[in-house]
Amino acid sequence: MARFLLKRLALALVTLVLVSVLVFAVAQVLPGNVGRNVLGGFATPAAVAQLNHQLGVDRPLWTQYWSWVSNFAQGNLGTSLEYRVPVWSLLQASLVNSLKLAAVAFVLVVPLSIIGGVFAALRRGRLADRVITLTGLSLTAIPEFVSAIVLILVFGLALRVLPVDATAPPGAGFLTQVKYLLLPAAALTLVLFGYIARMARAGTIEALDSDYTRTAYLKGLRTHTVIRRHVLRNSLLPTIAVIATQMGYLIGGLVVIEKLFNYNGIGQRIYTAAQNKDFTMLQSSVLVIAIVYLTASLIADLIYSLLNPRIRYGGTS
Amino acid sequence: MDHEARRRLEEYRRKGAGPFENALIDDYSAGAIDRRELMRRAGLLGISVPAIGLVLRAFGEPAPAFGAARAAATGSRIRVGIIPPPSGAIEPSTISDLGGLQTIGIAGEFLARATQSKTLLPELATSWKTNKSATVWTFKLRPNVTFQSGQPLTSADVVATWQRLATTGSAALSAIGGYVTPDGIVAVDDLTVAFHLETPVSNFPYLVSSTTYQGIILPASYQTGTFVSKPQTTGAFQLAAYTPGVSATYNRYAGWWGGTAPLAGVDVTYYTAAAAADAALLGGDVDLLGQVQLATDRALFNNGSVKIFSARGSTHREVPIRVDENNPFHDYRVRQAVALTLNRPQIVKTLFNDLAEVGNDSPFAPIFGLARSVPQRKQNIRQAKQLLEAAGHAKGFSAKLVTEQLGEIPELAQIIQSSVKQIGIDLSLSILSVDAYYAGTQTGPPKGWGDTPWLNAEIDITDYGSRAVPNVFLTSALETKGVWNAAHYSNKKFDAAVKSFLGAATFDDQDKYAVTLQKILLHDTPVIFPYFYYYLAAGTPSVSGYSADAVGQLYLSKTSLT
Repeated sequence: MARFLLKRLALALVTLVLVSVLVFAVAQVLPGNVGRNVLGGFATPAAVAQLNHQLGVDRPLWTQYWSWVSNFAQGNLGTSLEYRVPVWSLLQASLVNSLKLAAVAFVLVVPLSIIGGVFAALRRGRLADRVITLTGLSLTAIPEFVSAIVLILVFGLALRVLPVDATAPPGAGFLTQVKYLLLPAAALTLVLFGYIARMARAGTIEALDSDYTRTAYLKGLRTHTVIRRHVLRNSLLPTIAVIATQMGYLIGGLVVIEKLFNYNGIGQRIYTAAQNKDFTMLQSSVLVIAIVYLTASLIADLIYSLLNPRIRYGGTS
Repeated sequence: MDHEARRRLEEYRRKGAGPFENALIDDYSAGAIDRRELMRRAGLLGISVPAIGLVLRAFGEPAPAFGAARAAATGSRIRVGIIPPPSGAIEPSTISDLGGLQTIGIAGEFLARATQSKTLLPELATSWKTNKSATVWTFKLRPNVTFQSGQPLTSADVVATWQRLATTGSAALSAIGGYVTPDGIVAVDDLTVAFHLETPVSNFPYLVSSTTYQGIILPASYQTGTFVSKPQTTGAFQLAAYTPGVSATYNRYAGWWGGTAPLAGVDVTYYTAAAAADAALLGGDVDLLGQVQLATDRALFNNGSVKIFSARGSTHREVPIRVDENNPFHDYRVRQAVALTLNRPQIVKTLFNDLAEVGNDSPFAPIFGLARSVPQRKQNIRQAKQLLEAAGHAKGFSAKLVTEQLGEIPELAQIIQSSVKQIGIDLSLSILSVDAYYAGTQTGPPKGWGDTPWLNAEIDITDYGSRAVPNVFLTSALETKGVWNAAHYSNKKFDAAVKSFLGAATFDDQDKYAVTLQKILLHDTPVIFPYFYYYLAAGTPSVSGYSADAVGQLYLSKTSLT
């Protein structure tokens, strides 16, 4: 198990280095001059050059990369070129907000999708299966900004039962914060339900058709015992992998949802940073998301290995 | 006639009034102008509201009612949506965007505040006057004003603030550059400041009023970069917290010279998407949106639960046409033909639902009341075709219009495209993001106009914010050496008339030069000014005591929630 963990950690580290190189390179090819962008169009070329020097963006690329990445490794994410404040002071709140939204969405979508998928598999070919499968597929096909607007119109403006702004007032309690996050989380649930439910359904059908399930029935075990002990344990393995891959999207990829619900999440931070050529903010934010994503994948691997001893002990799955 | 009022007027004429004020009072007393005209001209010349009141009372007329303090102190906090968030750090001297000016403007105050009716209300200055040549303007400061730090306001603070704004790197230079240098701003005594100008400017008080939004008065000890870290303005609200791109919190300042503001505080939320801001207002999450537009916020218009606040102003779009390139636009007749294809009343109806006024291809917006004797240019396709034929382009030609993805501008571009098609001009459109449109260098003359698209396209459409006086539109956008002269227009007669206009001592003189400028621009047509639109804000019916401001200032000191 320790070897398995070490191997995964080493891979994560390599991935992070690659991501840092990639995001640094991408930031460099974005059009625009940092000094010009900060000082505006009417600043003299000398003033622009002076600011670029002050910000260190006129140094060789390798020096800039090493300076950024070595500081990042020591916990210093740099200073925002746009706002002139430490990146972490802005990113921290955005990351916490994104984690909160992801958590609420996760709590909604995971149980609903798994229950839906397993139920559809158990009712394979019947009306319930068709309804769940088709509904899920249809919802997945609807872009998130469309479902979000419909939710805002219905629950925020027509019925007025939920706030349309996802940011709770300062000092709001846990339940109030959840209430503010319900609409964006619901929009995400609609998008992800079909995908995860289909995976859960497929995994469950495969497990139901397997020899070990037949053997369990032949042993005289009752249906719910067979499903709990044998079917779910095996059928959820691919579903867990799928859920883990969605974590990156749930935390860093919700630009549209965050814009529609005016939520200060990390997706919006990255979008604004890219728009304003705030390279330090952009690079550090992407790397933070990569860390979160890799952590989620690692946790998923651990759960996977706990459910599947063949992984744990170095076998093949 | 009230003798006491008359005595005070005479005293004012002797001690307080300058030559402009006295000339105007003479016109009014001789019956040459009526009350309305007096107020309009006083506005154009930067004469303060109390001075106008003094004149009116002396002649038995009621004084204008501006800014009457509201007694009710509800103690509520107002939730305000600002769209878009400030770009960059919050630093008054470099602010040049709407989000930024609204953020600093809630806490800050100016020497004078421009009103919707084109008059100046004294704010931190109580009065001002000039010498005969309009080259020295002297401002008397309000006594007993304290900064939110507790430090008293003196002339040293005003001098330091404006010296900072007159220095290279300040965004306020677009308004005062060329008129005043740091050395020209001096303290006369503890409560008097004099601005010695490089050139005569008869409406100078406007340039140091709220219309130059960087001009928030800060302590002499102010250090750049500390605006959000500690309260150091004089306004009714002090900035308590600021999170870039997310929110700002202001609390009522108990030591405000104006008394107790009705609101206990202001909670600002920044929005990046109009749809989210609209939903927040309609859903009851905010009370007031600092700016709305018909093009992007249609859901708020004709909605019973939304109050629209509007302010006439000089906000407009300019359509500069390069006059210096070797193409058909080089001929003034072709530029005239393009301008004649536009059905301006229809454009105003379509794009603004009539919340705008047609332009006459000059920067003299109707609100300025200048050059109104020159007939309005109207759509005339037959004449446009004749002009094109006379210029040797009877069969038309192709050209490319470059503009930005902002507000209603793409729709205006399409309207222009279909309009000029009627006379055979095939106009292709290149609509860039705002960033791309303003990208590149734009260092201005004498080195040229850099390589930025907005100053170098053969024809483009550019957004211009409101100004209380047309000075900057004339100098920066149309003069030969103007830094925003996107048409690359050069006309010595025009430049000379601009200089005369800026130094004109009376309204009649200003109007005379404005007529000259208007006629030159109609003939040369370097820039099409299709319309001037109203500044719009939106709120819930519970918002009272708030007036929209043409520049976009969010002045909430007299606002309350009912």
